[in-house]
Amino acid sequence: MLNIKNLHASVGGEEILKGINLEIKAGEIHAIMGPNGSGKSTLSQVLAGSETFEVTEGEVTFNGENLLDLETEERAREGVFLAFQYPVEIPGVSNLQFLRTAVNSMRGHRGEPEMNAAEFMKHAREVSMQVDLDPAFLKRGVNEGFSGGEKKRNEILQALLLQPKLAILDETDSGLDIDALHVVSDGVNALRAKDRAILMVTHYQRLLNHIVPDYVHVLADGKIVKSGGRELAYELEERGYGWLNVKDKEATAS
Amino acid sequence: MKSAPTLSSVFLEPAGNYLPGPLLELRKQKGMALVDMPLPTRKTENWKYSSRHLKLSDELAVALPSPGKEGTSLSMAGYRVVFRNGVMVPEASDFPDLTGIRIQRFCDLDDQDVAVLAERLDNTLDSQTVQMARLNSARFEDGLFIQLDKEAVLDQPLFIIHEVTASSVGSAYPRIYVDAARHSQMTLVEEYISSGSEPVMVNTVTEFVLAEGARITGVRLTLEGESVQHIGATGVRQATASRFESHCVGFGGPLRRHDLQVRLEGEGAECKLNGVVVTQGKQHYDNHTSIEHIAAHCDSEETYRNIAAGQSHAIFNGRIHIHQDAQKSNANMNNKNLLLSTGAEIDTKPELEIYADDVKCAHGATIGQLNKTSLFYLVSRGVGRREANTLLTIAFINELVEQIPVEAVREAMQLRLNDFFNQTFQEA
Repeated sequence: MLNIKNLHASVGGEEILKGINLEIKAGEIHAIMGPNGSGKSTLSQVLAGSETFEVTEGEVTFNGENLLDLETEERAREGVFLAFQYPVEIPGVSNLQFLRTAVNSMRGHRGEPEMNAAEFMKHAREVSMQVDLDPAFLKRGVNEGFSGGEKKRNEILQALLLQPKLAILDETDSGLDIDALHVVSDGVNALRAKDRAILMVTHYQRLLNHIVPDYVHVLADGKIVKSGGRELAYELEERGYGWLNVKDKEATAS
Repeated sequence: MKSAPTLSSVFLEPAGNYLPGPLLELRKQKGMALVDMPLPTRKTENWKYSSRHLKLSDELAVALPSPGKEGTSLSMAGYRVVFRNGVMVPEASDFPDLTGIRIQRFCDLDDQDVAVLAERLDNTLDSQTVQMARLNSARFEDGLFIQLDKEAVLDQPLFIIHEVTASSVGSAYPRIYVDAARHSQMTLVEEYISSGSEPVMVNTVTEFVLAEGARITGVRLTLEGESVQHIGATGVRQATASRFESHCVGFGGPLRRHDLQVRLEGEGAECKLNGVVVTQGKQHYDNHTSIEHIAAHCDSEETYRNIAAGQSHAIFNGRIHIHQDAQKSNANMNNKNLLLSTGAEIDTKPELEIYADDVKCAHGATIGQLNKTSLFYLVSRGVGRREANTLLTIAFINELVEQIPVEAVREAMQLRLNDFFNQTFQEA
């Protein structure tokens, strides 16, 4: 589904991603872990189409299409979804209006009829209950005055409404208490499907206790330095990231 | 040095076919004061951005004929008065006889009311700062005198549709005077529209005088077409514990000018002034507001938002004057602006004069562009770029539009703003 080859990206002339290679197939869940500043969030943002970063080298295909050629909104309509690490507050645009516009843009792209306000309201209320978000939030401004946990649940709500093919979750577990973590992981697990892939970016492995990945990758200094199964996450939990850097350096030296 | 241009005498030629004697006399006096009046130039501080947009050709002095084709207005539920080219059209107006409320055109007033009106008219605005609106006092052809008796409450909004027919060159001078007795209440919606495409000027003055405890809401929608120069002034005087709310929504044109002046003259009076302006193309919009805190314990709250696209130009000048005796005044003024293109210009100027020592007075002004992070967030959900721009732009002013207390107006303005920005971003 997603194929990343030698991806380099920089911001303001500083290279952040230094040659990422990653293949994700439909139905798989991948976790990308790594220390702060390793480029995890940059990778998520670049895949979603942020203009903050400049791709300087490499290619990314998504279901055979050149992803980097697509505008942000086209990527979304093709099924790429990013759950933001820091969801944006937009006072003055109601959550409901935003979500309905987004859902109808997707439906329009697929040649499906638009959902009218009443239909959509009913659907959105059901999904908001699913992520334990009071439907009253739908009437408020997008993320306006939401707590950290409410914002993250709103991201999952959007994923459930938009039904993406590839869901990228950027530090979705950060700032969540244990109850909220359950709610969010239940939401993500509800997204699991044979025709859908999930890419989780996280600093800690605790989310991986709730959403079990098929593969774990370690990102350090803009490169994937180690890949493995879920047991790699446990190892990281025990030993931290230090041993990898050392090993990486040794490997380069030999 | 070239001498400053003055008001052409043709603008002061009398007409006044509909007016009773005392008002004609008043008009004549006001007109005499304007003989050889210097027109504003770039050096005139309160017109420095707008003087070059003021185009007073002699043909414009012609009073537009009062009968004409009716344009399309919002036509909403409520009471309705139609003014066409500054003259009331009774057959298009619709309001019942109301207890304690008299809504009369100037030419229908009895001698006593005429005497009262001639005495009171033109006492709310500072003639030095609204020089162009003074022309209205010399030229009004008709007007509406609204009298609310003590404790009278108008149960529905009164819509005044000010239509100008721009099928020939000329000008119109509608005049409204609202006299609100103690504890009376009303909501007045003034809607300015036009048909036709010849150059015309609308020069309009509305006055509100609020007695103790009166509560008046004025909604002002400036929606005229591209050939209309609009020069308007609203004067408000407030007695003890009265409340005045103003909601202005303005779409740009070749020249749009509104002076809003509020005098808080009785203790505990409060006013809230909201304004939204949107401009595109080469449009020009100039809002000048002034709040005089004269008595103690008065509150004023002012929030204006401008959005300028294309090569348009929007101006906000907000003056707050807190007089020496106005202790415990609470004044809050905020102006935020959004530039949608590099060619657009917005000028904002707070003017604060504070002569009392125990007051709270806050002001803030910002000029910015659409937030890129917000835009990325919206498009990352599949929302089209134009739609996302429109959503964000409307969000910038929605807070104010949502406060318009007449639902039908609120919805009509939201639709209209939506269309306006969709068009703006389509052309961009």
